[in-house]
Amino acid sequence: MTRSPISAAATAAHGSSATAGVPGATGSVRSLDSVLVANRGEIVVRVCRTLASLGIHSVAIYAPDDAGAPHTLAADMALAVDGYLDAPSIVAAAKAAAADAVHPGYGFLSEDPAFARAVLGAGLVWVGPSPEVIAAMGDKIRAKETVAAAGVPVVPGAGRPGMGDAELAAAALEVGLPVLVKPAAGGGGKGMRRVVAEADLLPAITSARREAQGAFGDDTLLVERWVGSPRHVEVQVFADQHGHVVHLGERECSLQRRHQKIVEESPSPLLDDATRAEMTKCAVDAARACGYVGAGTVEFVVPGHQPETFFFMEMNTRLQVEHPVTEAVAGIDLVEWQLRVARGEPLPLGQPAVSRRGHAIEARVYAEDPMRGFLPSSGTVLALEEPVGQPFVRVDSALSRGASVGARYDPMLAKVIAWGETREESLHRLRAALEQTAVLGVRTNVGYLTRLLAHEDVVAGRLDTGLVDRTLAEIAAPGHAESRDAAAVAACCLAAEREPEGAVVDPWDVPDGWSVGGPLEWVAALAHDGRAVTVTVRGRVLDGASVCVAGGPPLHVRAEPLDADASKLSVTIDGTRATWRTARVRDEIWVSRRGEAWRFVEDRAARGRTDSTGHTDSTGHTDSTDSAAGLVTSPMPGVVVDVHVALGDVVHAGQLLVVVEAMKMEHAVAAPGDGVVRELLVVPGQSVKLDELLARVEPAGAPGATTSGAPDATTSGAPDATTSGAPGATTSRDVDVRDEA
Amino acid sequence: MAKAPASSFPVLGSSADPASGGFAENAARHQELVGDLRQRLGRAAMGGPEPARRRHLERGKLLPRDRLAHLLDPGSPFLELSPLAATGCYDDEAPAAGIICGVGRVAGRECLVVVNDATVKGGTYYPLTVKKHLRAQEVALANHLPCIYLVDSGGAYLPRQDEVFPDRDHFGRVFYNQATMSAKGIAQIAAVLGSCTAGGAYVPAMSDEAVIVRNQGTIFLGGPPLVRAATGEIVSAEELGGGELHARRSGVTDHLADDDRHALAIVREIVSTLAPRGARSWGTEVPEDPAVDPDELYGVVPTDLRSSYDVHEVIARLVDGSRFLEFKAEYGPTLVCGFANIWGHPVGVVANNGILFSESALKGAHFIELCDRRRVPLLFLQNISGFMVGPHYEAGGIAKHGAKMVTAVSCARVPKLTVVIGGSFGAGNYSMCGRAYGPRFLWMWPNARISVMGGEQAASVLATIRRDQLEARGESWSAQEEEAFKVPLRAQYEEQGNPYYSTARLWDDGVIDPLDTRRVVALGLSVSANAPLDDVGYGVFRM
Repeated sequence: MTRSPISAAATAAHGSSATAGVPGATGSVRSLDSVLVANRGEIVVRVCRTLASLGIHSVAIYAPDDAGAPHTLAADMALAVDGYLDAPSIVAAAKAAAADAVHPGYGFLSEDPAFARAVLGAGLVWVGPSPEVIAAMGDKIRAKETVAAAGVPVVPGAGRPGMGDAELAAAALEVGLPVLVKPAAGGGGKGMRRVVAEADLLPAITSARREAQGAFGDDTLLVERWVGSPRHVEVQVFADQHGHVVHLGERECSLQRRHQKIVEESPSPLLDDATRAEMTKCAVDAARACGYVGAGTVEFVVPGHQPETFFFMEMNTRLQVEHPVTEAVAGIDLVEWQLRVARGEPLPLGQPAVSRRGHAIEARVYAEDPMRGFLPSSGTVLALEEPVGQPFVRVDSALSRGASVGARYDPMLAKVIAWGETREESLHRLRAALEQTAVLGVRTNVGYLTRLLAHEDVVAGRLDTGLVDRTLAEIAAPGHAESRDAAAVAACCLAAEREPEGAVVDPWDVPDGWSVGGPLEWVAALAHDGRAVTVTVRGRVLDGASVCVAGGPPLHVRAEPLDADASKLSVTIDGTRATWRTARVRDEIWVSRRGEAWRFVEDRAARGRTDSTGHTDSTGHTDSTDSAAGLVTSPMPGVVVDVHVALGDVVHAGQLLVVVEAMKMEHAVAAPGDGVVRELLVVPGQSVKLDELLARVEPAGAPGATTSGAPDATTSGAPDATTSGAPGATTSRDVDVRDEA
Repeated sequence: MAKAPASSFPVLGSSADPASGGFAENAARHQELVGDLRQRLGRAAMGGPEPARRRHLERGKLLPRDRLAHLLDPGSPFLELSPLAATGCYDDEAPAAGIICGVGRVAGRECLVVVNDATVKGGTYYPLTVKKHLRAQEVALANHLPCIYLVDSGGAYLPRQDEVFPDRDHFGRVFYNQATMSAKGIAQIAAVLGSCTAGGAYVPAMSDEAVIVRNQGTIFLGGPPLVRAATGEIVSAEELGGGELHARRSGVTDHLADDDRHALAIVREIVSTLAPRGARSWGTEVPEDPAVDPDELYGVVPTDLRSSYDVHEVIARLVDGSRFLEFKAEYGPTLVCGFANIWGHPVGVVANNGILFSESALKGAHFIELCDRRRVPLLFLQNISGFMVGPHYEAGGIAKHGAKMVTAVSCARVPKLTVVIGGSFGAGNYSMCGRAYGPRFLWMWPNARISVMGGEQAASVLATIRRDQLEARGESWSAQEEEAFKVPLRAQYEEQGNPYYSTARLWDDGVIDPLDTRRVVALGLSVSANAPLDDVGYGVFRM
């Protein structure tokens, strides 16, 4: 099979993975000639890689708005379906393509027992556990009961349907404060309350119940013991149809934002050997207890200050996003194992033959903006560089130049995995690999990841699920000097565009600003993140020019294109040379270096406004005029999921008008002030861009009167822009932030 | 054009010795002169006094040179016209005559830009301000350059109204030029960035398209004080002639901008809508740097006009590849004529290499006719003390031979560019395309001198006449008395012959660093190629 360099390296350390099969395995083996991958994005590309290595025909699907997406090119063929959540059309596609099996990937329908049932009902092989197991593990309360019965520790707690407030409070005291009060349904932190003092218990239960009812239509609550400094450790298990169950070691996934993992590693830097042995045994027991088949993950929470204890959280009945770290240290292709198990083969290795070597860490590349509280971003990939082909580095990606990243789908774009003999080595390799990654055209978290991986607590392995939020303000943004250099480079891009092509035939074509009194200064009026950045340039950057960023001291900048279209510039700033990637589309200039990418908007023709320093707010609009004019704009690119008002409705300040969703977040867009809805420009299902006009509320009273000082949250520059606005601006509501993986 | 490429022309060498004492001395003197030039340019570029600049900024306006920086394309060269106008005039209250004029590239198109400097006496027009504005329009007309006026001016400088208002080449000519240029298809664009009072109101009103900044630009024939005096009405400037009024009600302007930058962005957009420029009047080739080091210009040119040197040393450092196809090299050698390229543009070089004789003048007239026929622009390198005098030469008809050259210079329809690299005296100035002969551009080096004759010469001529008068009356005149008579005359000629005296009065388009000559001439040639050429036609050559 084709292996990435790191898995090849890991395999070399382990010998061939296909030797010591589980003894005594028998039974019918079904042949798979063609497999449909019911997913999109990088996981399709990854699964197709293994299918190709096994000589199995691959079939991809695409939703109507996703035709031509990179994942469709990775498969041997791709079929249109009505949507990635549309089970009947996917099953029909599998039949039409004459596929033998369906691999669900992760997310979408991968943990939907009804879908598994439909696949099986159509006579196809389901690459995963049985629908019954999926259903059993999908119900949190049932799952807990099942594994507890098998002797696996669960978080002490109480709660069942119909329990009254007082009864629940008494149960909470029995569990011991502090406790977490949370809805039985839903997830992702919605409706959760941490209670430390007894006096706060009843009020917390009452409000959590109300919120649970509102959000999920089910007011059943649980109480659980509060786990301090929680760390997320999970065990990869594998079971075949012959009763064999093995584990492939653990992964730690404590670095999370909004309850979604961003960095995962194996092994966990926390566990000692005894705890590891105990936890993996519990995971195998849990899998056995539910009659598990295929790849599964048993998730545990470990109190940071008590690393020898752990509690079962849930079991995921599919391949995880972070499976490559296990592949790297165990030298096993988990997708290959999934397919063998699905074919009815026994596990290729028994537990004693499973060995692990070194350390692997994965970082997820998301289309999101860490400086805007990880708000999803969208756009078209203008230029791309991925650390493909480097030793001990693996890239699982569905990115390509020209690919469109929209708000409709998960913002995860790619994963970068690095292996090393030690954790330190893999960390270094991963950071270096990320620093060689450049995504231009869509904001990503790559630069942020390089800083997160350099944070002293991450380097020391002092992880917990709150670390990302705690350190965000400190490392969300690149350093001042880097951003200053980036602005200078953006000006160099503008200068490069002025360089004549070929031989100069006209002295007016030489962009050196020549004048009789010395070179004339020119101004690159740029905006970054809605803030004006004025860069002045004196001289020709090709020969070395004097550049001032935002009124700062002059820098000596020389920039030479390294390729024909100046998409790579060699820039020397005050004597230090570096290579920058650049891209230009319309008035946007993207520059990238060491993983970080900056988007500047050229403001030469923008109808801006000069501030006291002569700089201009180039967002093209001002907060106050927007609110005075009653303009209601989308706080993020996304899809309108609900419109709560009609044209002509009288609304009051803060009243919900429109709900915009981008992946896992819903944004309630509220009226900026009292007034009448005079324009309503969107309908449910419509895609909207950042700052796109949604509606106009004509203010009550005198026309033009300012009724609300609500700042435009999207331009506030606060770390979490979605919640920084004054009441009545926008509020964010996490609807389902349950980790997909 | 169907001629052999200039790349086949012979290459000029140089006999200069950079190690020689004379070279070093020349270089040091030029350095000093250029240092003085840069200081003067730096001072003039500041504009008005500090408090005026501060007030200007406090009003949310950009300083004039920042306006220019926002208007021009990034990195565009700027061929500024007479940046040292009014130096030493009006008690030095009007740096650059309170107006910035020049050619720069806007939205990919070379335009003539006129920027009022409101920090200089409110941007009002002194006599030299008017002269500079009119000269800029003349450049636009001659070279078919779209005109952009960034207006911020209180109109005529009232204390000197007699020198500003009534005559042919006074304020009214500005609007006459706008109308007649517009008629010729030369775009007239105005941005009202401040006051546009009285006559100034016609600048936007006479433009093809005009932009105004709200709460900043005003246009009215009579300002609030005048209205109050005339009719007793009390009205604010904004109500009387602000951006909202002119954009929404009067229709005097076509675009309403939020601020300077916005207005300048609109101007750029307007320029991008102009019809494309016409075909160039001559073909160009790929430029080539001079083969002889241009940086040696300082060392090879003596600053003392009495020292002679070979002008080929200058030509070799200006033209592409130092290639020069000389015409009649052996005949009339005090005038050097030949074909060359500068930045790919063909050019016929006419350069003084000593005093003008009849032969030199005849050769010059012949060569100018050739260039004119062949659509080759002319470059005059002036370093001339005059025509030869004396009975032998008068009898040889030097007056009519000189007249032939002056006729040729006057009537040539190809663009003429003049650089005064040394002396510019007497009839030599005429035959070598002085200001009166309509060169598209005329620049001076800092070591240049310009006057009807040299100071010593003039003092001697006047002293001789004086002595003759005194002696006719039987009076005596001692040598000391004669010397005392000559001193103020020499001083007057020294002062008035200075290039800064000249440039202050718009006798030229600016004093330039000799090392910039190649670039300046190239920019000028490129601009000159915009306008179509007239037909060839000459007056009577007296034979």
